[in-house]
Amino acid sequence: MSDPVPIPTAETAVSPTGVPLQSAVDMLRSALSSVPARLWLAVGVVLFGAVLAALVAAVNRRLLVGAGVPETIEGTAFERTAREFGTSTVSLVADLTGYFIFILSVIVALTVARVRYITTFWNGVAELLPSLFLAALVLILGLVVGDKVELLVDERLRGVKLPQTGVIPSLAKWSVVFVAVLVALGQVGIHTDALVVLLGTYGFAVVLFGALAFRDLLASGAVGFYLLLQQPYTIGDRVRIGDTDGVVQEVNVFVTHVESDDEEYVVPNRRAFTDGIVRLRE
Amino acid sequence: MTASGDLLADLVDDVDGVFLFAPNGSTYDEFAAVDDEPAVVVAQENDHDAERYVELPLAFDNVRDRIRFGVEGAMDHGYCAEGDEVACAVGVFGDSTDAVIRTSVTESIHSGIYDLFANSRADPNVVRDVFDVAIELGNKGQKGKPVGALFVVGDAGKVMNKSRPLSYNPFEKSHVHVGDPIVNVMLKEFSRLDGAFVISDSGKIVSAYRYLEPGAEGVDIPKGLGARHMAGGAITRDTNAIAIVLSESDGLVRAFKGGSLVLELDPEEY
Repeated sequence: MSDPVPIPTAETAVSPTGVPLQSAVDMLRSALSSVPARLWLAVGVVLFGAVLAALVAAVNRRLLVGAGVPETIEGTAFERTAREFGTSTVSLVADLTGYFIFILSVIVALTVARVRYITTFWNGVAELLPSLFLAALVLILGLVVGDKVELLVDERLRGVKLPQTGVIPSLAKWSVVFVAVLVALGQVGIHTDALVVLLGTYGFAVVLFGALAFRDLLASGAVGFYLLLQQPYTIGDRVRIGDTDGVVQEVNVFVTHVESDDEEYVVPNRRAFTDGIVRLRE
Repeated sequence: MTASGDLLADLVDDVDGVFLFAPNGSTYDEFAAVDDEPAVVVAQENDHDAERYVELPLAFDNVRDRIRFGVEGAMDHGYCAEGDEVACAVGVFGDSTDAVIRTSVTESIHSGIYDLFANSRADPNVVRDVFDVAIELGNKGQKGKPVGALFVVGDAGKVMNKSRPLSYNPFEKSHVHVGDPIVNVMLKEFSRLDGAFVISDSGKIVSAYRYLEPGAEGVDIPKGLGARHMAGGAITRDTNAIAIVLSESDGLVRAFKGGSLVLELDPEEY
């Protein structure tokens, strides 16, 4: 369907009015009109795409800043790296959406212009583009969230002055990044079965060992909730739990402090249920 | 110039230690550079990560209390020993250092202020929070009128057994702790009513409206203080609790431990 009927150039060239300036204008006009209308449309689409991309990027940036993203991710490693390259995470994400729209518009323009021989290639790209874009977004999100998690866990653990805890923040960070990479790869369509199995094993191990390690703590915590809500005994009551008896000094989620004659027992709440509580009244 | 220089030189002549009260960065760095005997920093926050540091729970307006607290704390940490002569750089009229005070570390300086915060049954943060509430209450009063209050902090189980309720306990089955902003408002409201507040070691408010029934023998508190102070002082003798009392008549906050008055603060100055 190649019907870009060019207006016959001969006619204007043989125009009787032979003023040189006039003929130059005519020549320009003829050159312009010789370009197929479809191509004009394509150029329009590209221009429109560029404007739209800039607009969306600006709006996105505004939205991200308005949502308080820069303050939230302040100090993360990804943000610092971005700063080193003279940009920031927010502008990176905003630009990414802009580029996405622009590339999309270029592809639309190419389709409109019917550049035959590359169509098949571009069709493939057009199909891949959204998932590629999503993958990049997920990756950035994963990195930023991972950094943030590392910072939060690190701050939380700072009170515990134990050098061994240093590994936990980075472990938390890389867990988040790993999941993000997995999702990103899945978006692009790469088979991630092996990695999923790895993740499953890892998660299973965490749950299993966590449950094993925290068994008593969880049981005590569950009982602690009952004790705090129902208050079968309160501070000041004389109780006997198992073979420890005395005055209750403190009840919290995990333990009960029972004091008798200058001896303070810290009883795990679990024991209140397994051994029963005896309230002593004189 | 030399005369004034000598004056200061005499003051710090062969002292065994230097105490910096809330020093600024450059002052601390100068002392940190000379490393034979690091200075003891006494401040509310350890801004300079000083090796020898005593935390002030309150910004004691009374300089004597501040120095006592710092020296007692340093003795407790082993930074100085009895018989030492120390120079204290403090801010008397403002936050910045404007005075150097020489004092000797003796038993007499041991008034128990540091002990009150650091070695009570209750958590130091809890003691500080209760002080904050009492000071705020003393400053503002109840609807502009001066109000009295009695807080018994720590050893709550024993205190509850040595007291009886005057009315229904508004804090029953609630799990509120001093220091939460909303609780301070609640405490202020309930301070209108008579009786003591009982606060546990971890800061949980166990009860309000408690009538304390300690034995009052051998309680040594200054004459002229009322029944509230007597009850507060006596309960600290019978139990391991401390009592923080806001006086309705003179508006001062007093702290009792072991049956004796340890600290007296004027809320107006905070």
